[in-house]
Amino acid sequence: MSRDDELNELRHRTELAQRMGGPEKIQRHRDNGRLPVRERIDALVDGGSFVEVGALAGSGRYDQHGSLVDFTPSNLVFGRAAIERRPVVVVGDDFTVRGGASDGAVGDKMIIAEKMAHDLRVPIVRLVDGTGGGGSVKTIEQKGYTLLPKVRVWPDVTRNLATVPVVSLGLGSVAGLGAARVAASHYSVMVKETSQLFVAGPPVVERVGQTLGKNELGGSQIHTRNGVVDDEAASEPEAFERVRRFLSYLPSSVHGLPPRADANRDNPVDQATLRRVIPENPRAVYKVRGIVETLVDAGSFFEIGRQWGKASATGLARIDGWPVLVVASDPYHYGGAWDRQTSEKINRMVDLAQVFHLPVLHLVDIPGFRIGLEAEVDGVMRAGVRALTAISQTTMPWCTVIVRKAFGVAGAAHQHPDRFSFRYAWPSAVWGSLPIEGGLEVAYKAEIEAAPDPAAQRTAIEARVRALCSPYRSAEAFVVEDIIDPAQTRARLIEFANLAAPLRQPGLTAFGFRP
Amino acid sequence: MHAPMSDVQSPISGRVIALHVKPGDSIQAGDALCTLESMKMEIPIEAEAGGIVAEWLVDVGADVAEGEAVARLRTG
Repeated sequence: MSRDDELNELRHRTELAQRMGGPEKIQRHRDNGRLPVRERIDALVDGGSFVEVGALAGSGRYDQHGSLVDFTPSNLVFGRAAIERRPVVVVGDDFTVRGGASDGAVGDKMIIAEKMAHDLRVPIVRLVDGTGGGGSVKTIEQKGYTLLPKVRVWPDVTRNLATVPVVSLGLGSVAGLGAARVAASHYSVMVKETSQLFVAGPPVVERVGQTLGKNELGGSQIHTRNGVVDDEAASEPEAFERVRRFLSYLPSSVHGLPPRADANRDNPVDQATLRRVIPENPRAVYKVRGIVETLVDAGSFFEIGRQWGKASATGLARIDGWPVLVVASDPYHYGGAWDRQTSEKINRMVDLAQVFHLPVLHLVDIPGFRIGLEAEVDGVMRAGVRALTAISQTTMPWCTVIVRKAFGVAGAAHQHPDRFSFRYAWPSAVWGSLPIEGGLEVAYKAEIEAAPDPAAQRTAIEARVRALCSPYRSAEAFVVEDIIDPAQTRARLIEFANLAAPLRQPGLTAFGFRP
Repeated sequence: MHAPMSDVQSPISGRVIALHVKPGDSIQAGDALCTLESMKMEIPIEAEAGGIVAEWLVDVGADVAEGEAVARLRTG
């Protein structure tokens, strides 16, 4: 073969691989509201930055002379690229070739993609649009024996969670290993209506007696409410934009530090609005996201997991340009009380902060764990102690602002109990081991019952106790370090962020990250 | 031809203490539809999308569970 022929064959094979599943399958894929994998990659990364690895992988068919007559490309496309001029690894399933089933990937492409991200110390973005890992039932006949399940990529998945940002998008009907790869991420997004996620899809589930459509079984309305997936997007381009934004707050790996933003370090919102934001009626609620957006750099709050674990609004933000993790109680959900999901989300977020060296801002209005039969049946205390433990284990600089309540064990988790943390309270703060409502009847039971007029006695005791509940009494006793004018909070946070920045240390955390 | 309907689900469990809109009212995303008492707090349930209130599925005093439908909206 001449040198020209060799180059011509390279061009020919490259073209064959770029066809993906062919025009008909690509059109059907588009008709379902989905982009082909190569267009997804182009839309996600900086223009022209994608350098494919394994571009010639696939299955060729040859005639009796050894000439290539047909070619099915690998259904896993991966390579290096840049997002906002920083290197990343992108790996995408091609649904148009054999439904994205991972045994159509050819060789160890998936594993090499994960290893490449780990060894290059750069984020990995998975565009998941495929089914399980063990092949189909057809594999049994092809091999002549059955496979014992083993997920060979999992050690790499686990290692990457401790080392580099891992982001996954669910972009089609993902089941089995595909679903697991989406869930095993620091950040995941599903697209409304066009993506679904399940352990097993409708045809398999029908055999256990449930006849359900794809979206009924595994749409984003299920998995962004149970916490399997962090967020939902209205379209694939919106999902790509969320990925780019998420990564902008993080270092390329744990061996670096979160990058400070050069611009937009101000917040023009009048800080005095914070003086009136907590209602005087202790039973009334308020919008915590507005408070967060007033305190952090303008437009920098990137919420994660809005639809699950709703008693806390969590996400990434910047203060004076420095990336931080924000955890902020939302009284709209059980008054800010930690239920099982909220505890799980806080655990997940604190671990994210620890792994990627993000100082933590905690805005606290926690009446305690959620109480009552539903919460007990839900197992709130198991998830609750995991969150408490994450907070006790983190070594990240921490700033607490108690805006209203801090009660009970969950209230105690407003910060690490025995290392120095920045802590401020607003004048609207109120705290204790137990709330007076309910707690008073328990503590003063005998005194109330023995009184000639128990109701009057209860009222008298409550008045006595309430007179002692001013946070200024606590400040006098140095139970809390400082009570501040809410309008001064942002200035204090800027001081915190700048003092915290040099304390951040690159490197692996002592414990990994369990998704 | 029926207008498309959607149910407003309560994101929390609690007791209905006030209804703020009535059937026929036009509402927008973010409007408070009713208020629940839950964890000793008064928590409004807000519309996620606009529409016209078709009917209430609960009344004042009712105990609702997390995820239970409380109102039906015409969204077409």
